[in-house]
Amino acid sequence: MNKETIVLGLGNPLMGDEGIGVKVIELLQSASGDLPGADFVDAGTGGMSLLHLIAGRKRAIVIDCALMGSKPGMLRRFRPEEVQTVKELTHLSLHEVDILKVIELARQLGECPEDIVFFGIEPETIEQRMALSDCLAERLDEYVAAVKREIVRGVKAG
Amino acid sequence: MSNMEKNVADVNINVKHLTRVEGHGNIVVNSTKGRVEKVEWQVPEAPRFFEAMVRGRHFDDIQTIVSRICGICSISHSLVATKAVENAMGLEVSEQTDMLRLLMHYSEQLQSHVLHVGYLVAPDLFGAPSVVPLVGKAPDAVKTIIRAHRVANQWSELLAGRITHPITLIPGGMAMIPKEAQLLELAETLKATVRDLLTIVDVVLSVAANLPAFERPTEYVSLKQDNPPTYTFYHGDIASTDGHVVPVDQWESVANEHVVAQSTAKWAKWHRQSYAVGALARFNNNAPLLSPLGKAVADKFGLKQGACNPFMNNVAQLAEAAHVVEAALELIDTLLTRGLKPEKVTVQPRAGRGSAAVEAPRGILFHTYEFDSNGDCVAANLCIPTNQNHANIQLDFEKFVPEFIGNGEDALRLGLQMLVRSYDPCISCSTHMLNVEFVK
Repeated sequence: MNKETIVLGLGNPLMGDEGIGVKVIELLQSASGDLPGADFVDAGTGGMSLLHLIAGRKRAIVIDCALMGSKPGMLRRFRPEEVQTVKELTHLSLHEVDILKVIELARQLGECPEDIVFFGIEPETIEQRMALSDCLAERLDEYVAAVKREIVRGVKAG
Repeated sequence: MSNMEKNVADVNINVKHLTRVEGHGNIVVNSTKGRVEKVEWQVPEAPRFFEAMVRGRHFDDIQTIVSRICGICSISHSLVATKAVENAMGLEVSEQTDMLRLLMHYSEQLQSHVLHVGYLVAPDLFGAPSVVPLVGKAPDAVKTIIRAHRVANQWSELLAGRITHPITLIPGGMAMIPKEAQLLELAETLKATVRDLLTIVDVVLSVAANLPAFERPTEYVSLKQDNPPTYTFYHGDIASTDGHVVPVDQWESVANEHVVAQSTAKWAKWHRQSYAVGALARFNNNAPLLSPLGKAVADKFGLKQGACNPFMNNVAQLAEAAHVVEAALELIDTLLTRGLKPEKVTVQPRAGRGSAAVEAPRGILFHTYEFDSNGDCVAANLCIPTNQNHANIQLDFEKFVPEFIGNGEDALRLGLQMLVRSYDPCISCSTHMLNVEFVK
């Protein structure tokens, strides 16, 4: 049975800071016993599969690497309506995905969670390596704590 | 100057995509007075160093690492790595493991094919810029596509342990197996999905006239399995429609990877200047072995063995989607008849080199690894389907442009984009990060 909240960690751990969402979700998974109301999913670069993971949930919390024009390592909490995507898609391949577009599709289909919160983390280095930059690695506790506070806050009253 | 040259407007297509991190496919066409001066499919992508990332890693970590190379083909990468490691270590797997893996592999074919036809190709055929606006134009069709994709996702999750990036595969066997009741439930779900697949087929058929009539004789390369004869995605040798068959461990002499000036991704060629891989290649090598429903789907579109219209790759994907569902139902039946048994796997590492191939949804995928006596990886070589298709896309472009240039620049640009989409290249697949501006 799906829980009403899903917490998704996105990204590719083979690409340095791109994998920050996966790293944070791994840490949250190991602490999931304290947070029984949520499912924690390492969604990697599953792209359109996100549509199915969020369908029918009350709340989705998404942790992802994000280019936001902030300082590297900066964590920003925002809702989808607070941002506009400037990601350029070629539309030549299924392999490129903009999660904001997936949410738009979920809304059109009437199966989107009402309460969606993003935790965007500004990367320092995106390159082929399996380790995070020191800049992000040093702040992992802060990222995990922010997501935990969000989970405990409860679902936004619809 | 001929009449044609006088009447045709100049064309200057330059579809370039630049991102901070990695490249994309660029389409460049220049023509003056009907004379084509430049036609290029450029892939200015950062070279992939995944081989370097697995060096030094233990043999039982490899399949987990390489599953991250691609979010859509993660099962294929994990499976081929596991098989290559087993080949290097001299491991044989049980029939049960083989069947469960094949069942997992079929789920990825369905996931990817439905996604490709439904989300990437259907918008073109309906004249919509992407799947999001297509919801308004054809809501029932989109909902059916999403329902079928959802079933394929749940199917992957059952066998792979999660939707993407499998966690059940280990060298020598499976870390987890499904329960019999779950397989029974999956069979019922798949039977119900056949109806949705046929609806998708009819929807695509209703707009199939929008697939360009374009042909170019091509060498098609895929796996082929004779013993027993099977429409294979997983076992067999490397076969070409030009009549050659070689064992999988000789894949480097098939791909003949080489560097070209216009692209940082490597290109491939075997007996001709290029070859194609993917659903149409598998169909052309194996068509008589399709399941009854797969054959019926191909027949509806008039797809016949020997087809060389690259746009028919999408039709071959639909035929395969039907095929894998039927093949999966047979597999589940066999597994349940025999009964599922827990199996214990112990592996003694040894030094060696191993290769394997599987059919990823978008074509044949090769991995080779070499290990020292501790089971640590000392060398790796991977060849993805997309790189095998780049040279073929270029040659398709060179024939397509003169044939379709008379339709005007906009139609030509769209035609070339559709042509690339028909191959569904795996480009820009390794990063998915958000890129946003704050508006509030």
